Amino acid sequence: MTNTSLDELGPVDYLVVEFPAGASNFTGEMANELIALVDSGTIRVIDVVILTKNDDGTVDAAELGDIAELGELQAMEAQLAELLAADDIEHLAAAMEPGSTAGVLIWENLWAAPFASAARRSGGQLIANGRIPIQAIIASIEADEALVTEGV
Amino acid sequence: MPLRPGRVGRVGVIGAPVAKAAVVAAAVTPGPSPVAKTAVVAAAVTPGRGLRRRI
Repeated sequence: MTNTSLDELGPVDYLVVEFPAGASNFTGEMANELIALVDSGTIRVIDVVILTKNDDGTVDAAELGDIAELGELQAMEAQLAELLAADDIEHLAAAMEPGSTAGVLIWENLWAAPFASAARRSGGQLIANGRIPIQAIIASIEADEALVTEGV
Repeated sequence: MPLRPGRVGRVGVIGAPVAKAAVVAAAVTPGPSPVAKTAVVAAAVTPGRGLRRRI
């Protein structure tokens, strides 16, 4: 992890992408897109862990460096910080189905860092953030259209 | 595989067990329903659409 002052740190997010048993189809496309995001300066990858949840509920965790052929991810692996603690991995694996494999990705949104920093310098404090699911947008639109149809 | 020593015994950053986000799984499931609604959603976030705000 490079030294980044807290004032310049962009928002840090995580995601867990689950691949149900027998459903994975790794062609390298995901890695390529991730590398593109890093190369464009959009994000900085902070941590990556690959989890496997066994049928009995136990979880195996593998580091990115444990993968035999990393290809272009090799350079990224060298820059990772081990942000996730063992407890975190247990907490994240709680969302997984038995028999599945999941990739855990922690990243800094570099694109947002200058704006966030400016907001802090301006005296602003983040009091809420989140993601709006596509389903919520669809539901809103459909409710809107229903109102129009009913002439309300 | 065992975790690297640096991950063990540290205070974590994920505060509690994470629940599965079923809504996200549905959004990325291939099939006619999400695909058919793509245009609708795109229209909703297009500038100037003028969504009514129900506050």
